[in-house]
Amino acid sequence: MNHPTRRALLAGTAGAALQPQRVFAQATPSQVGAGTPRRGGTLRVSVDQAASVLNPLLTRVNPEYLVSELLYSGLTRLRPDMTAEPDLAESWTANDTLTEWTFRLRDNLRFHDSSPCTAKDVAATFTAILDPKTASPARTNVGPIKEVVAQDDRTALFRLSAPYADMPAALAYTNARIIPAAIATGDLSRLSREAVGTGPFKLVSFEPDRRVIVARNEAFYDPARPYLDRVEVLVYPDPTAQSSALISGDIDLIAGAGQSEYQRLSTAHGVAALRVASGQFLNINMGCQQPPFSDISVRRALAMTVDRTAMAGFVAQGYGTPGNDVPVNAAYHFFKPVPQKQSDIAAAKKLLAEAGFPNGIDLTLIASDTPGSRTQLAIAVREMAKPAGFRIQVQTMPHATYLDQVWKKGNFYVGFYNMQATADAIFSLLYTSTAAWNETHWNNADFDAAVNAARVTTDEAMRRDLYGRAQQLMYDDVPSVIPTFFDLLAARRDYMQGYVLHPRGAVFRLDLVWLGPGAPTRG
Amino acid sequence: MSGAWLLRRLFTVVYTMLVVSLLVFAITQVLPADAAVTLLGENATPAALAAVRLRLGLNDPAWRQYVHWLLHLAHGDLGVSMRTGQPVAPTMLTALGRSLLLAGLSLGFMLLIAVPLGVLAALRRGRPIDLLVGLLSYLGVSVPEFVTATLLLIVLADHLQWLPATGYVAPSENLVGSLQHLVLPVLTISLILVAHVSRMVRSETIDILHSDYVRAARLKGLPPRTVLLRHTLRNALLPVITIVALDVGYLLGGIIVVEEIFAIPGIGRELFVAITARDLPTVQAGALIMAGTYAVANTLADIAYALLDPRIRYD
Amino acid sequence: MTDTLHRLLRTPQGMLGLVLLFVLLLACVFGPTLAPYDPDAIDFLGRFAVPGARHILGADQLGRDVFSRLLAGARATVPLALAATLLGAAAGAVIGTLSAYLGGLWDEAIMRTVDAVMAIPGLLLALLLVSTFGGGALNAALAIGIAFAPGMARVTRSVALTARQADYVSAAIARGESGGWIVLREMLPNVAAPVIIEATIRVAFAVMLFSTLSFLGLGAQPPLAEWGLMVSEARPFLHQAPWVIVVPCCAIALTAVSFNLLGDGLRDALNPRDEQ
Repeated sequence: MNHPTRRALLAGTAGAALQPQRVFAQATPSQVGAGTPRRGGTLRVSVDQAASVLNPLLTRVNPEYLVSELLYSGLTRLRPDMTAEPDLAESWTANDTLTEWTFRLRDNLRFHDSSPCTAKDVAATFTAILDPKTASPARTNVGPIKEVVAQDDRTALFRLSAPYADMPAALAYTNARIIPAAIATGDLSRLSREAVGTGPFKLVSFEPDRRVIVARNEAFYDPARPYLDRVEVLVYPDPTAQSSALISGDIDLIAGAGQSEYQRLSTAHGVAALRVASGQFLNINMGCQQPPFSDISVRRALAMTVDRTAMAGFVAQGYGTPGNDVPVNAAYHFFKPVPQKQSDIAAAKKLLAEAGFPNGIDLTLIASDTPGSRTQLAIAVREMAKPAGFRIQVQTMPHATYLDQVWKKGNFYVGFYNMQATADAIFSLLYTSTAAWNETHWNNADFDAAVNAARVTTDEAMRRDLYGRAQQLMYDDVPSVIPTFFDLLAARRDYMQGYVLHPRGAVFRLDLVWLGPGAPTRG
Repeated sequence: MSGAWLLRRLFTVVYTMLVVSLLVFAITQVLPADAAVTLLGENATPAALAAVRLRLGLNDPAWRQYVHWLLHLAHGDLGVSMRTGQPVAPTMLTALGRSLLLAGLSLGFMLLIAVPLGVLAALRRGRPIDLLVGLLSYLGVSVPEFVTATLLLIVLADHLQWLPATGYVAPSENLVGSLQHLVLPVLTISLILVAHVSRMVRSETIDILHSDYVRAARLKGLPPRTVLLRHTLRNALLPVITIVALDVGYLLGGIIVVEEIFAIPGIGRELFVAITARDLPTVQAGALIMAGTYAVANTLADIAYALLDPRIRYD
Repeated sequence: MTDTLHRLLRTPQGMLGLVLLFVLLLACVFGPTLAPYDPDAIDFLGRFAVPGARHILGADQLGRDVFSRLLAGARATVPLALAATLLGAAAGAVIGTLSAYLGGLWDEAIMRTVDAVMAIPGLLLALLLVSTFGGGALNAALAIGIAFAPGMARVTRSVALTARQADYVSAAIARGESGGWIVLREMLPNVAAPVIIEATIRVAFAVMLFSTLSFLGLGAQPPLAEWGLMVSEARPFLHQAPWVIVVPCCAIALTAVSFNLLGDGLRDALNPRDEQ
């Protein structure tokens, strides 16, 4: 058993253990801070769908994350290397057993309405987050919090129901942003029309389907940031129009570029195309608690039919990395390299026959229509698995119906997941027996044990070993087939500086962006 | 036109809107997965779903929801969008404005093209130009909007790069850019209109050219151009109105597709997004607007008919 | 019947329409056997193949042969469009005839309601219905059929009204013929003609609506080779592989054109006095 001595986990050194290896360099040589940041200017960012939800506790899609990041802050936030850095909290400590975390807030924090932001607001925010009625996605993603207590104006104490080593990273969750206590305990719906946060920008106008405009918060806790005067978030539902607008200079940044447009963007004049490997993946969930997938041979057989490199080509158009049925890849810190699984139709057929299906098996694979790559994956798997005897019928349905009738209920469907901050986050979200989204019902005791043990210690070597074991278990047992991970794609004008494409996908850090020479002056 | 006739038409319009609202409401009640599910998505817990449903009034029995909505409508309140939380009326009105811009430009373009084409085809009846116009008409009515739009996109936007592909720019922001972005959608919508109208104009012009009235005028020695302009065109306009009125329904449907393809935030797009999101108030409002447009357009057409042709009387 | 066929073939539209429809029928029936490849077979290395020797009309984003999918698409589109129109015509005929038979206030009420329903654009009604039934080719066909019913009801009713008051009917009544005989031998042949013409043209519209619904993601679902769906799936790759879009577009247009031609031809053949 590991009992770490009490350490001051100061900001910056907390992440010392969690330095991941950078896998793919940015496609462009210009890194953060090429030159001295200049203040001023309006940035135009394009997103591909409406940012309908303004309430930071309820945001669900990337455009909404982007907007709420501009308007609100959390206690911590994620650096591009997935480590936690201070945001509203300037430092934090934990007790020996990692069951109590104390976060110290910066001095003189203010909300946009000039009211002070104190630990009381932090406590109220998390109480609202943990309330099931609020339906915040953060509820199961901010660690096992029992209660949050405001010890004084600047100290928030988090009492956990179990030891948790990744607390700083967990509190950087997209929906764990601090709102005023008065609203958190009162009328939360106020935040669907107005924004009262501590973020680097204040809300100017909100047209969810078209445009959101924010302007610099002069009272932001860091007087140097943000560099920009204004940010306009524009909705461009069509990828072609989006790239055309970037190329012509109407917009400065495409937050999420489409795969079909990337080629055009990388060769366009005045445009820097960005690309980073991320842990975003598609998978095929199999209900392991009932036949036929309760038989590990059937699962392994299906996994053996998939040509993973080809799959990355099909569904990611080449902008992806092959997967090995493990939900973490090199973009995660505790990734353990394993031999790439190859497709072997003959072996798959044999395995299927041994499982009791010598004449093949009939299955229905359900894919929601959003994103479109789900259907692509389903069709490709259908064709790849056919020669081995899998007769798969693909059934697509609208996303809403899928959520209503299939998700977490069906036993054979395509799933799509964004990258999480830590390996524990993704494992605990999907694959442990107590996971909030335990879609596969794999319920593997060894896996649970490994993940649970790794969660409660900060010993780097031990965690690496435990997570390695967890990954090996998934690699061998195949609760779900994970054939491919996606690279994140974006593009910016070359005069836009300070932007780093974050593998998490939901983090943008636009307060570090500044406009260099060549930027147009906009009213 | 008598007042009684107008009153009866008004009654018809109101009855139409009522029936439409009832029908749409009934259908939306049967939609699988309500607004709560689409709003909460993967984060839905039974408690959260219950809370959202309570807030949105989805727990009330259907008839009560409908009556509620009707009462609000009587006060001019179209409700609040279940998806965005924004009031429906302003959003839909702005969207309607954009769609009307698109429709107006299409109608104008159609008139500029279709009437001369139809007259020309009639004058050169049986000759190559007539056959060409006929062929164009056939294609125009047989090609779905998404096909026209996609082909235009491939040729004009992608291959030749003459025009921007998709998107919408408000005229108030940038007039030239706005018009550039509207060329392709306008062309797409006009095609069907041009096809129908030019055919009608052609056959009407043929009839008129052979009528006693025109023959008499010709015998009198009036120059052909005067004959054409004064008598033919005026009577040819009547069928144009008929066609446009008949086509309004078809066009409103087409606008949904065109706005979706060209990413124009008009009424069609709002409706499509609202249906997917199960945003009942917006769906209701959108359907009402469309039905209302259809009913009003038909009434206007009848009035225009009466004004243009003194032989027609409404009692 | 043969008389009508002869007249039909004499009109240029009828001739062309029948020829095109015959080709379509061949594609529907023999399509799968004529197809050089399995329409569903994916080929990683053959993605976006340009039309050429290996793939006559090229390959799509999954490497599937476009020509084979084109042939398979005929079967996915045409029969269902026909079924939808038949459903709409049948439902409409019942409503329309009933309304004409009842007459008076009932007729007025039914027709006003039918008119009100027609105020909803066909595509919108189909969209709403399909969202309710759930997507899929069959549900789309059902929705289109229902959306057609009001229009067909109108046509049937006006035809039924004229027929009831026609001279030949009065003459038959005077002759002492039975009601059933009147309906079958006197009314039906005269009622059938306009309805058939209207229905034929509606099939063209059904083809267009069906492919539009599939394009919007609510009709035929992947991996079906329905033409509208092919266009929608290939849209992101417009720049790389325009042929994947152009081919099904032409197919849809051609199919709708042929039904329109047939309808026009029938109109001329069944009403020789009417001018074009």
